[in-house]
Amino acid sequence: MILSSSQDVVVIGGGVTGAGIARDLSMRGLSVLLLEKGDWGAGTTGASSWMIHGGPRYLEFDWDTTRLSCQDAGHIVTIARNLVYRVVFLIPVLPHDRNNIERMETAMEVYDRFQPLKKAHPHRRLTPAEALQAEPGLAPDLIGAVTMEEWGVDPHRLVFANVQDALAHGARAFNHTRVTELINDGGRVIGVRYQSPDGSISEARARVVVNATGPWSPEVAVMAGVQVHLRPAKGIHLVYPHRISNFSISAESIDGRDLLMVAHGGFTLLGTTDDDFYGDLDSVDVMEDEVNYLIQGIERVFPAIRDYRPVRTTAGVRPTLFKWRRYEDELSRRYEVIDHAAEGADGFVSIVGGKLSMYRLMAEETSDAVCRKLGLQAASTTASRPLPGNESDPTPAAELASRCGIPALAAMKLQTRHGSNAEKVLDEGRTSRLLCRCEPVTEAELIYSTRHEQVRSLADAFRRVGIAAGPCAGAACILRAAEVVGRELGWSASQSFEAAREFVRGAWLGRAPVLGHVGWAQEELAQGSMRGLMVSRGPR
Amino acid sequence: MARADSLAKLAFAYGVHLTRRRLRRPRPQLSSLLRTYAADGIQAIEPAERDRHPRLVTCINCGLCALAGGRVGKTRLPDLASSYMRLYARLGEASSDVEGGSPDLLAAAAVCPVGLPLDEVAAVVRRLSTR
Repeated sequence: MILSSSQDVVVIGGGVTGAGIARDLSMRGLSVLLLEKGDWGAGTTGASSWMIHGGPRYLEFDWDTTRLSCQDAGHIVTIARNLVYRVVFLIPVLPHDRNNIERMETAMEVYDRFQPLKKAHPHRRLTPAEALQAEPGLAPDLIGAVTMEEWGVDPHRLVFANVQDALAHGARAFNHTRVTELINDGGRVIGVRYQSPDGSISEARARVVVNATGPWSPEVAVMAGVQVHLRPAKGIHLVYPHRISNFSISAESIDGRDLLMVAHGGFTLLGTTDDDFYGDLDSVDVMEDEVNYLIQGIERVFPAIRDYRPVRTTAGVRPTLFKWRRYEDELSRRYEVIDHAAEGADGFVSIVGGKLSMYRLMAEETSDAVCRKLGLQAASTTASRPLPGNESDPTPAAELASRCGIPALAAMKLQTRHGSNAEKVLDEGRTSRLLCRCEPVTEAELIYSTRHEQVRSLADAFRRVGIAAGPCAGAACILRAAEVVGRELGWSASQSFEAAREFVRGAWLGRAPVLGHVGWAQEELAQGSMRGLMVSRGPR
Repeated sequence: MARADSLAKLAFAYGVHLTRRRLRRPRPQLSSLLRTYAADGIQAIEPAERDRHPRLVTCINCGLCALAGGRVGKTRLPDLASSYMRLYARLGEASSDVEGGSPDLLAAAAVCPVGLPLDEVAAVVRRLSTR
């Protein structure tokens, strides 16, 4: 028997845009069902550079994209204060760079006009000596440097904060739930059929179905009998499990593209590539030549990069709008809201293109389109209403730490994920034990996430709370984490063990491409440690 | 069209910039940069520390130093190396964790399988957390 439900809108796709749309529509009073085939933010969103940026490189192509991007970044920074932090770039200019120092500073002077929109400071120009004083690891032959400020963000938490707020406003949201079919009725899309993690099929009727599946949107559009044209672009990042520099560093690759080494909370992302992608969207591999391309590009401005050990890679596909141009990098990150009514699929709306920094605006415009179709007048309030955890100022980390018996660092990290709800999170598990010591993550937080944040696997826990994200890659914590999650979800001992093994296997796939770079010796140690843990628990 | 318009505006801005550079004498900006971001924990790294830095972040959290050493303040040695050292900024907010005595860090470092100089790590973390 097929279970059936009815709502105003079904949103397909639980990346940041889909989650933003679900939040926006539910805050306007509509009943919403949000469906994601994997985990929240596990696709393109999670494989981003983890930045809310204004897009200075779009100044060369389209100032309006930069303005809109900065404006929306400003809104995101306001509603998600606990999730964002300043990222300051040093942009060194070397001999033979595409842009000389004067051109580079001109671009930053123009960008400064937009910076106040996102509450960022204007640029500075540094002499070679000053740049080397700020970051002694820069190449000594630099001609000078300019700085640029952006915002860093944990995209997984940003997505979930949107999901959480949608739920708080009455939406229903399911991860690991795949849409198998769109229900068509004489030129109209009237709902979806979807498969839950237990394999059961349900039906959801809706007045509007929104396709917010990023690079998967052409596949979903085909279910409605219409076409969406994208030019998917693959981007990879190398992840270093620590800060390499307090400043983020920009460099020019061998083919003149901009590469970024971004200093996030406790790790560094080096990226990104931008190549046309024609492969399987559910299996995007990282190639060794892509790794070499990134390291070579950064090495030119930061020669010590090869002394550092990347711990894993990320790979994703951008849903770039289709355009016939030579270089992928020049394609605009503009977006488009498509009402497919004219193509014979009334009630079906797609949102394509765009980028993380503009997700809220994309969600607002898509929601406007949906409301127009439904004849609803309500306006969006997502630009001003805080996301969960930002309604009030959090307790100082040291105070929370002493009250709850955890290290101040753990309290600080907890607050970056949960804001003012951090104490509520710690109360849930009634334990102050640290589970992942690298990050660090408390056992209470993992219990809370499993109970209230739809953690269904250890990979979900990695995204939600950062478990096993540190230098040991889970060697010291993953079995214990499997026990905690398993206890909450009713797993047997062997299911918990299998979950840990699956996580380790998945982590290995992301790590293998970077082991050629200082990694093998330490990998041997880490693998030994991992095997030891497993053997000590006896044969399975 | 947008591209041509953008390039024209950039060209104009470039002209203005060059003129301004000719008329105004550039001033040092590093100290104001560091002042601006001091509250965010974004500070310059020292040259000697930069050279040693790749060695200071190699901890794989095997835990052996915890058996040989103990704690720096309230913090276990493996946490100091795998957790505090990797953050580098904002450590001022966690200064209470590393206040207090230190164990024999050289003895603890002797058992480290990746040869991490724990005494240097402790010194860096303490310096950053007291800023």
